[in-house]
Amino acid sequence: MLDPQADFQAHTHPSAAGRRALRLGICGPVGTGKSSLIMLLCSRLAATLEIGVVTNDIYTDEDARMIRAAGVLDPDRVVAVETGACPHTAIRDDITANLIAAEDLEADVLSAGAALDLVLIESGGDNLTATFSPALVDTQIFVIDVAGGGDVARKGGPGIERADLLVVNKTDLAPYVGVDAVQMKSDAVAARGGGPVVALSRTDESSVEELLTWVRGQLAAHAGGVLVPSDPGPMAPHSHAGGPGHSHAESPTHSHAHSHTH
Amino acid sequence: MTPRDLLPPMASERPLHPEALALLLADARLPVAGHTQSAGLEPALVAGPVDVPAYVALRLRTVTRTEAATAVVARAAVLGGTSLEAVQDAWAVRTPSAAMRRTSRVMGRALVRLAPRLVAAEHVALLPCEPVRPVVLGLLAAVGGLDAATTARIVGYDDIQTVVAAALKLTPLDPAEATGWVVRAFPALEGLVAGVVDLACPEEIPARNAPVIEDHAERHAHTTRRLFSA
Ligand SMILES: Nc1nc2c(ncn2[C@@H]2O[C@H](COP(=O)(O)OP(=O)(O)OP(=O)(O)O)[C@@H](O)[C@H]2O)c(=O)[nH]1
Ligand SMILES: [Mg+2]
Repeated sequence: MLDPQADFQAHTHPSAAGRRALRLGICGPVGTGKSSLIMLLCSRLAATLEIGVVTNDIYTDEDARMIRAAGVLDPDRVVAVETGACPHTAIRDDITANLIAAEDLEADVLSAGAALDLVLIESGGDNLTATFSPALVDTQIFVIDVAGGGDVARKGGPGIERADLLVVNKTDLAPYVGVDAVQMKSDAVAARGGGPVVALSRTDESSVEELLTWVRGQLAAHAGGVLVPSDPGPMAPHSHAGGPGHSHAESPTHSHAHSHTH
Repeated sequence: MTPRDLLPPMASERPLHPEALALLLADARLPVAGHTQSAGLEPALVAGPVDVPAYVALRLRTVTRTEAATAVVARAAVLGGTSLEAVQDAWAVRTPSAAMRRTSRVMGRALVRLAPRLVAAEHVALLPCEPVRPVVLGLLAAVGGLDAATTARIVGYDDIQTVVAAALKLTPLDPAEATGWVVRAFPALEGLVAGVVDLACPEEIPARNAPVIEDHAERHAHTTRRLFSA
């Protein structure tokens, strides 16, 4: 029997974008380490990948200037988007300014004779509810940190539960803020139903490697045309009574945290 | 699921209702990054206290009048089969601020992204390179059956609402009071409409400059601490 809703329930298609750069969104509350994570990725990947960065900030280009100043990327590869005090809108319901920025960055690099492999888009530090539209990014990382409190992961929210990767950052600070980082990570894994979590500290090389492995996996999936952008939603997860034609965008290749030894 | 999947391109044999198109173009929910615009209010506030209704009125007499005239003339050019390039050139020489020209190109581009969903693709091909907002609007108006007065009114109305919406962000007040400002600007809006509705050729576009607004726009483009793009 035909689902009466089928008419307006659009089906998801794999990203048709064979050639363009992978667009990786990085969001999460203020000060959790989004810009630092971008600088880390640039410093570790820029030797082998062409990278561009789009920042969204409260005051225009604070993040962009910080990333340019880090010297990990040609300053022209970092552009800032104004959000008119609407950081949430700019990554979610009207992504126009960010799309134009990403397209321009790709075109500029192309006209300079190269082609971007990876565009990193940093959201303005918003709150726990803000996530990227899958129409803007192919995949997204949600960043929280131990200093925000050990309970944050357990409480959940769309980004924590359903972003493609959750980073629990600044684990080196855990002893100083009275948080059990191992417990926080296992809470996060539970909140995500086993989905990938990296407990990260820039001072812990194995955690950095774990992050890089995930990013490389996403790049490979994008290049292979099998990366399906998925929406963490703002809505709580729901289930249907098994009707056909309701396949939701769940990444088929959620490669789970590989085992590694310290 | 993406917006692309939800909304198939508009087939040319299904014409839009002109009034519905006008409502769509004047709606702040239209995804053209309207939230990034303050119509110069942010730099004006940086320079000093602003009487918002007076600022709105100043814009309607000056830069917004030039923009509305450009949209009306662009509409006439499409209907008359003449070049939009000439309309855009006339607009450019009457818009001395490079920052304001840049802003209009970015806003034009946001509209161009939507254009194929509103009108048949062959019409979009009439646009000049890097089309500015009033030229894109004029094209959509011509193809979508909007009359000249409605075309001008959309430009003026959008400008009023952009200023007032930004004022609600930057200097919060009771939004009912702010809406009162919008309504009290309507007579001036009709003055703008009456002033541009009969224009047909590029040379007739008025050069209504506002050096203070243009100066603010230039300064704003170089500040490192702004909330709004322009
Ligand atoms: N100890 C420690 N500090 C970190 C780590 N990563 C980032 N930080 C620090 O956390 C602070 C905030 O980092 P940012 O990268 O600016 O955070 P953000 O999320 O981009 O911040 P907003 O853009 O303002 O929302 C800075 O002082 C960083 O140096 C980490 O792994 N360990
Ligand atoms: Mg940042």
